[in-house]
Amino acid sequence: MLRFIQFTATRAAMAVVTLLLVSFIVFTLMELVPANCAERYLAWKNTQGEQISVEDIRAEEQRLGLDKPYIQRWATWVGNVFFKGDFGDSCILRVNINQLLGEKIWISLGICFVALLVAYLIALPVGIISATVASPALNNGLRLVSYLGLALPNFLLALMIMLFSTMVFGDSMTGMFSKEFRDAPWSWDRILDFLSHAWLPIFILGWSATAFALQTVRALMSDEYGKLYVTAARARGVHGRKLLWRYPARHALGPIINSLGFDLNRVFNELPIVAVILTLSEAGALLLEGLARSNDQQLAGAIIFMLTASIVSLNFLTDVLLSIIDPRVRKSVMGG
Amino acid sequence: MGKSFLFAGVALCAFAGSALADCPQITVADMKGVKAGAFPQQYELAEFEGAAGCKLSFAANPKSADLNGKIQGNGALPSLAERLPEEPLVVVPYAEIGTYGGVLDGLSNAPEAGTSDLLSVRHVSLVRYSDDLATIVPNVAKSWEWNGDFTKLTFKLRKGHKWSDGSPFTSEDVKFWYDDMVFDENIIKKPKDYVLVAGERMTVDTPDAETVVFNLPAPKPGLLAHFATHYSQPFMPKHFLGMYHPKYSSDADANAKKLGFDSGYEVISAYYGNSDWTDTPSLMLAHPDKVAKAPKAVYPTLESHIVVAESTEGRHLVANPYFHMVDTAGNQLPYINEIDEVHINENEVRILKAVNGEIDYKSQSLQLPSAPIMLENQEKGGYTVDLKPTIAMPTFAFNVTSTDEEKRKVFGNLKFRQAMSVAMNREEINEVAFFDLGQPKQYIAFSPTPDFVDPKWEKHYAQFDPDLAKKLLDEIGVVDKDGDGARDLPNGSPLVLNLQFATQGISGQLVELVAQNWTDVGVKATVKEVTPDEYRSAQSSNQLDVMMWQKGQPLAIVLGNSELFQPPFENYFGGRNGMLWAEYVDSKGASGVKPPAFVDALLADIDAFQSAPVGTKESNEIGQRLVQNMTENLLFIGTVQAPNPIYHRNGLKNFPEFKTWSYEYYRTYPYRPQQWFLADEG
Repeated sequence: MLRFIQFTATRAAMAVVTLLLVSFIVFTLMELVPANCAERYLAWKNTQGEQISVEDIRAEEQRLGLDKPYIQRWATWVGNVFFKGDFGDSCILRVNINQLLGEKIWISLGICFVALLVAYLIALPVGIISATVASPALNNGLRLVSYLGLALPNFLLALMIMLFSTMVFGDSMTGMFSKEFRDAPWSWDRILDFLSHAWLPIFILGWSATAFALQTVRALMSDEYGKLYVTAARARGVHGRKLLWRYPARHALGPIINSLGFDLNRVFNELPIVAVILTLSEAGALLLEGLARSNDQQLAGAIIFMLTASIVSLNFLTDVLLSIIDPRVRKSVMGG
Repeated sequence: MGKSFLFAGVALCAFAGSALADCPQITVADMKGVKAGAFPQQYELAEFEGAAGCKLSFAANPKSADLNGKIQGNGALPSLAERLPEEPLVVVPYAEIGTYGGVLDGLSNAPEAGTSDLLSVRHVSLVRYSDDLATIVPNVAKSWEWNGDFTKLTFKLRKGHKWSDGSPFTSEDVKFWYDDMVFDENIIKKPKDYVLVAGERMTVDTPDAETVVFNLPAPKPGLLAHFATHYSQPFMPKHFLGMYHPKYSSDADANAKKLGFDSGYEVISAYYGNSDWTDTPSLMLAHPDKVAKAPKAVYPTLESHIVVAESTEGRHLVANPYFHMVDTAGNQLPYINEIDEVHINENEVRILKAVNGEIDYKSQSLQLPSAPIMLENQEKGGYTVDLKPTIAMPTFAFNVTSTDEEKRKVFGNLKFRQAMSVAMNREEINEVAFFDLGQPKQYIAFSPTPDFVDPKWEKHYAQFDPDLAKKLLDEIGVVDKDGDGARDLPNGSPLVLNLQFATQGISGQLVELVAQNWTDVGVKATVKEVTPDEYRSAQSSNQLDVMMWQKGQPLAIVLGNSELFQPPFENYFGGRNGMLWAEYVDSKGASGVKPPAFVDALLADIDAFQSAPVGTKESNEIGQRLVQNMTENLLFIGTVQAPNPIYHRNGLKNFPEFKTWSYEYYRTYPYRPQQWFLADEG
């Protein structure tokens, strides 16, 4: 038990260090975007008829603390994020980022998690069955579906569904909420309305995630299934479902759990493109907007950080989970 | 379906009731023998009753009380008689008396970008242009009068006119706007051009509650046209914002603290946005935690609709229950109950929504290259697309005060700008991007071209002549130094033009074609699309190499607003150039970059031009000088002036064909959107 606590603590410390490192990289990337927040704030003041001068920009930089050394600014940013949970104001919209992101980051993560969950719920049993059942029709069918999922870019899939829907139903199937629920507080009706819109991005993201997981599970299972210990177990009289779950499936599960964080990252990476096409108003769309079209470094930095934080925490959780399933993992990390 | 049918039935009964009144329900299409009033398509109440020989009785939207209930801070709704001014403006609908109800669906680009389309739908000002774009007619003001030499403009307001919260609207509200909002440097740092005459302040007198007098330091006949076209509204609710203004309330700061703000000015800033531009983030977007405690979510308005919800995704508005217009059957306008505005920055998604018939009206940001797909699907989507001429034209401008000194030198060289102008293949642009519907042109500031302008200026360096372009570039030392095939700056560093554009200002296809033209003569150009907000920020903070936005104004507007001829040659929302010249002019030489002599000439001429009576020899001579100085120096390079699409769903009725696709007369404002109605929504 002590070992386990020690392992968890080490892992947690490593996660925090990773997060700090990531925050440093994110902060550096934010700095690389041309022009700084001071210039953007002042540019807006231009609507008041005032001409902005170089001195004004310097004064604003001072007010925002942009004239301080790089490391100090990073420390302040990270400090605010870690201790106050405050990401500051968006450069372009001049609205507090926490408020701007608010539920959006949760909606985005929710969509990604659900897409991933659906993917695993389908991929695990189907992958295992397809690896063990020698049915050419089933195998070929599955291969077709997963190759389509892997080869078809998500944005294309989204566009095709929208096109189809436009042609057949006369509805572009866009948005995250119906307009009557857009600004409403959360309620049962709003949740239902949300779900009636959310299934589409979940489906689109889920398809390729399923295809990916399916291929992985199938390969792992085929690998394990032919191994000697399985044959030996079968010789001992263990067979059917019991044989499957106790031995090869359990081994095949490890790498899958291990890649949870990686998979989440992949799904999230695809979300912005899908979100822009479906005009979802969530964090992914904001990220693309902030990064590619508004040069809003504060906003983009906050989203990337939140995303990385969720991936790092997920990795931490999967590590702990793995160490429970498989003692070898614990040992390899502790070196004992 | 059944429900809307039922509502339509109820509405019909209501109209049957009002039909019992004596007045003929005339429309523009069928005047039923009633003589037109002093102004086209509208009457003052007494004028209408006189012309038709009847007594008009009034009827309200049956949903008024519900809609009023959605406006934060509004009390119970009094009877219609107490809501309408004693003399409401009688509006003649275009085709038929409308039915109440429905939600107008519209698109904007972002909370502060591409919103003027829907702003213009609800807009009011003292006066407006009629749909002939030539006659100025009353709106909020009942009448106006100039003195002989155009130095004193007197407006009569409507007796009993009320703000959207039921408080009286008086001449004090106009004076408050002028003296205590736009000239209070705690609110607006520097007074804008349109509140000044020849660079000086006017004074505002209020002899009584319904009379406002603008006293001008110099003649400016164009001031009236300014009120008819500009987005700013020359009145602000003194009874509400005054509570937070230290001049009117000793409790201003205390009142502010109760709402969680530090000072009264901060509250005013939160409500007013400090820019006269109506769509700045409201409390609901910028301070959602403070809305519940605040007396109102937005300040009261005289507009036809008022904002009741706002987020980064959109806005929702409901009809103003105190609006001052009625139709010829006595029904209070507007007909349309609510407006729903969604922010979408993706041009293709906007087009998709339009093609699906998911919006009711759109013209801003719709550009000619998207017209074919919209025209093709008109019947299926149940909408109509009209192609109408534009007033402004897409222009390019090289940043003559670039922060990069070497680039500044090159961009500041007239030969470079001439070269870049003749490198553009305007005929090809017209053919490829505008289906040959446009007219290749040089930018001359005035649009349409007034009679006093020599037509040669429209062709000045507008020919396609790549050889001349190359020759000019060679002459000024912009040659390929490192042998990579692209021309470099005279000091040897590479010359790359970063073309950042927003589809709100210019079409992407046009930018790509021009970038190719320039690359063909050896000047490398890269293209990137950004949001309008980002474009404007970068433009304001002087970070762009090339400015790209549509530009050009009618004579009438130039007479009221001199922006086009003063550095930076337009405001925050338009295409600008010479930011550091502007800083120099503003600071009277203390900072910035001294502009060349022709800019001084423009500055002197524009003031004289605004004071000289139009059509006189003096006025024409100054006008010619303005055009010559502007065009010869190619501060802005014109491209092709082409028509653009105007979209409306067929269910949106009383929608006339617009004369132009333009911002200059404030988009829909001349076409009276208050009398639009949705025939298929109840």
